Amino acid sequence: MRKEFKKNRELYLMCVPALLVLLAFAYIPMAGIWMAFTKYNIKDGIFGSEFVGLQNFKYFFTSSTGMGPKVIKNTLVINFWGLIFGTILPITIAICFNEVRGKIFKKVTQSAMFFPYFLSWVVVGAIVYAFFSTDTGMVNRMLASGGHDIVRWYAEKKYWKPIIITADVWKWAGYNSIIYMAAMTNFDASLYDAASVDGANRFQQILHITLPLIKPTVVVLSLMSIGRIFFGDFGMIYGIVGNNSLLYEEVAVIDTYVYSAMRSLGFSYTTAIGLFQSVMGLILVTLSNKLAKKVNEGEGLF
Amino acid sequence: MNRRKTKPFSADFWVKAFAYFLIAFLAIACLYPLIMVLSVSFSDNTAVTKYGYSAIPQDFSTDTYLYLFVHSGTRILRSYAVTICITIIGTILSMIITSMISFALSIRALKYRNQIAYICNFTIIFSAGLIPWYYVCTNWYHLTDSYAGLILPTVFSVWSMFLMRTYFDAVPQSLYESAKIDGASYMKIYVSIAIPLCKTAMLTVGLMYALGYWNDWWNALMFINDRDKFPLQYFLYNILSNVNAISSGRVPSGAAANIKLPSETVKMAVTMITIGPIIFLYPFIQKYFVDGIMTGAVKE
Repeated sequence: MRKEFKKNRELYLMCVPALLVLLAFAYIPMAGIWMAFTKYNIKDGIFGSEFVGLQNFKYFFTSSTGMGPKVIKNTLVINFWGLIFGTILPITIAICFNEVRGKIFKKVTQSAMFFPYFLSWVVVGAIVYAFFSTDTGMVNRMLASGGHDIVRWYAEKKYWKPIIITADVWKWAGYNSIIYMAAMTNFDASLYDAASVDGANRFQQILHITLPLIKPTVVVLSLMSIGRIFFGDFGMIYGIVGNNSLLYEEVAVIDTYVYSAMRSLGFSYTTAIGLFQSVMGLILVTLSNKLAKKVNEGEGLF
Repeated sequence: MNRRKTKPFSADFWVKAFAYFLIAFLAIACLYPLIMVLSVSFSDNTAVTKYGYSAIPQDFSTDTYLYLFVHSGTRILRSYAVTICITIIGTILSMIITSMISFALSIRALKYRNQIAYICNFTIIFSAGLIPWYYVCTNWYHLTDSYAGLILPTVFSVWSMFLMRTYFDAVPQSLYESAKIDGASYMKIYVSIAIPLCKTAMLTVGLMYALGYWNDWWNALMFINDRDKFPLQYFLYNILSNVNAISSGRVPSGAAANIKLPSETVKMAVTMITIGPIIFLYPFIQKYFVDGIMTGAVKE
């Protein structure tokens, strides 16, 4: 071992900065997980505070506010529909792109669809505001001009799951369609030629050639998302609704709940929630990696 | 693929018609909001308050931009400067760190390369969570209100390393070996062979990092309380969240009267200023992102 380090010293040194960053921001914080099992107070520090076992976890699932189960449900619901529509729409886009001709048309439309990926969630939040603000928003103006009652969107929580899911799909559709297009460029063109000689129309070709061929990519990408289904997109929720307490219950995901409970309910409780999330993530990622290897001829996700 | 002429009203015709319609529709759905933001930022504020948002400027005026850049003090220019500095310094640091480890791990002669890669991968599948991370960042590393807090926590991305390794792995090892025989050190090989060969890769990953820094407000939300150190995105976030608080009716009207609300046009102008550089660079940088996504996707 020493000989190896001596021989390739330079190469190991080149790894050091990156490993230091991971040490500082990923591995050292793992020591803080201990807080999840204690009743942390500043005076006694992380390791001196009273040990309370699983009490923090119990509180998360059974507290009378019911916030724990609620935020888990919100996270799963938003991620689930994001996954469904965020898969169907990009595949449809990729397939449609194969059907249209015209270089300029393709270039312009693809650039337009890819653009939202470059926007931060704060900017998306500003756009959502432009649509839904009570007095000046597009949607209320249209409702009013159509003679309908206007809606105080930012005070009505029931609308916000669909709005957030739509924003999510909107932002990522172009990006994900590029992944599917990349997969489709590898398809064997002779399959399509053979099918059209046999008299299959374009729709039948899509149904019987494109979709089956694209299935492995869909499975792998979906498994990746399922591995992270307990992780909400903090930036998305916070960028779009901020800390609006009227909408909070409906759109708070585990991640935003942890952040906002950090100060009011303490470090121990919120560390416990984060640990629950990480463990669920670890289990699901491991399982989906195993499954991915099965469908993908031995190639895992990483 | 077949390119026969499509007969009108056949099944093929409808597939084609649907494809054109859907793509055109979605492209408009992606562009329309931006056009609306742009047009409101160039509108007169009283007209916007009266008639609401629209995709055509109302009473075209550049007052809002004049106000922001000339009359509103230095706040927005400061935030701009913070964002630009963070993006440049952060991207350079990230690129050095990421490309070095990616290069090292692409050398087959490195015996423990799989173990090192595993140390990196593990951080993706398991993390301590927000609170322990926040705790060490603020209590041990003292990142509160420091510019380092806007860079260091996100300075190395394992995903970017994956992507860059894909490119470095494609370089034939024999090139390195012959340079090694000529007496070149690995550092020299990295600088004068590997990086020039992977120029596109460097540009792709560099642009991805730069976009990440430009769009970042998470680090600012975590660490920055001092208004002078707000990056642009966080500046915008603050404007919008004040507005949210009032339009939801949460803030009592008496209190609302005391808070000076930014006008509608200011909100949209700040949004435009935030994404402006991206829009200008977009035609030149888009293809590198597409390339990066495709390279990542093919590997999957």
